[in-house]
Amino acid sequence: MSESIISTKNLNLWYHEKHALQDITMEIEPKKTTALIGPSGCGKSTLLRCFNRMNDLINQVKIEGELCLDGCNILSDDTDVVALRKRVGMVFQRPNPFPKSIYENIAYGPRVHGINDRKELDAIVEKSLKHAALWEEVCDRLHESALGLSGGQQQRLCIARTLAVEPEVILMDEPCSALDPIATAKIENLIEMLKEDYTVIIVTHNMQQAARVSDYTGFMYLGKLIEYDSTTTIFEHPKQDLTENYITGRFG
Amino acid sequence: MTDKFHSELKELKKGVSDMAWFAFSMLTDSQKAFINQDEALAATVIARKDQIREQMVTLEETCYQLIALNQPVAKDMRVIACSLKVIAASERIGRYGKSTAKIVKEIAGKPHIANMMSLPLMSEYVLAMIDDALTAYDTENLRKIDGFSARDDAIDALRHSIFRESITYMMENPKTITQATYYIIIARYLERCADHACKIAENVQYMETGERIEIK
Repeated sequence: MSESIISTKNLNLWYHEKHALQDITMEIEPKKTTALIGPSGCGKSTLLRCFNRMNDLINQVKIEGELCLDGCNILSDDTDVVALRKRVGMVFQRPNPFPKSIYENIAYGPRVHGINDRKELDAIVEKSLKHAALWEEVCDRLHESALGLSGGQQQRLCIARTLAVEPEVILMDEPCSALDPIATAKIENLIEMLKEDYTVIIVTHNMQQAARVSDYTGFMYLGKLIEYDSTTTIFEHPKQDLTENYITGRFG
Repeated sequence: MTDKFHSELKELKKGVSDMAWFAFSMLTDSQKAFINQDEALAATVIARKDQIREQMVTLEETCYQLIALNQPVAKDMRVIACSLKVIAASERIGRYGKSTAKIVKEIAGKPHIANMMSLPLMSEYVLAMIDDALTAYDTENLRKIDGFSARDDAIDALRHSIFRESITYMMENPKTITQATYYIIIARYLERCADHACKIAENVQYMETGERIEIK
């Protein structure tokens, strides 16, 4: 692997008494797609949410260890969480557009970060929608409500909204689980394109999806990172029996 | 992956094993027919040709369906990949059995020359290699394929010595040319069958460990 963009060292997380992440040590390569797989409750979404401190929003969470973005420990108290989330964007399981126009959904983030010039915002909206492969479908109705879009379009809008603030890393938590196969294929194509410019980390229940879209795969089980390797190694000849048994459907 | 898939995979492996041992029986019987000049046995080998092809087509189709419908990964995928190679190698071995049986018919009635040189020994070695390769596939016991490289070298040496010996006999007495030429051809078939045993062994290694080896 080349120099990592995100690295964790002995990362531990507790939800109250529950030890949800145990000694996670991993390095995420920039401009690659990394997938996290594992059975429900294994900690993959929890780990994903650590990368932009979304777990801060949950009560009684305790985190220990190191979590660095470009070499800086983002767990330290003086981290500017708003700035962090600009650099590390997130797309959720269910599309969650704001109840506003398509245009306003995209322009919202840049405005929060101080961009108010109309022309500049127009350019950002167009660029973000093009990057998210949605421009062609919505360019003539930018001022209509985002809630009128199909599920797949809404999810791509959410991706465009994330891209609008020019993040370095995009976290995706089950981005296709609420979508039909055609919309899923569009998102998967998009992930392939995004990795030219961004680092993508995706949590997915769908192992075939992990195999299709990712360069690296981490298999998690009961809060531990059991195996982390290139996706081809994980799916062709994993080293751990637990990984083998999970991906071949013998449990989970 | 579902239990149904895993039971179908098990069935596939059993089917491939049956086909491989069927091919092995074709080669074994062709060798017996050759050594004992048993035309009737040779005829039964030739008659098995269509059956081996049918088995090949059916089993390959099963492999493709399992892949298309289940998208297998890791060992499940490697079992199917290895099985496809075993199917191809077995079909070749069966066909070499058939080709040998045809030679038995060609030279029927003509006595063996030079006590068949080292052909019976070579045949024994090659059949033992195929036996071990197929047993490794069945039992997933890699010990059976240890030392295949040296065994393959011995086979190559035997083929070469049969070739040299046959040439000598042909030069000494042109009446032996037909017989000796067939001996060279059979030695060549056996050497190819040993190569197929090596290919099976390489693929069983991959199936079991994910590691690619080359048996030279």
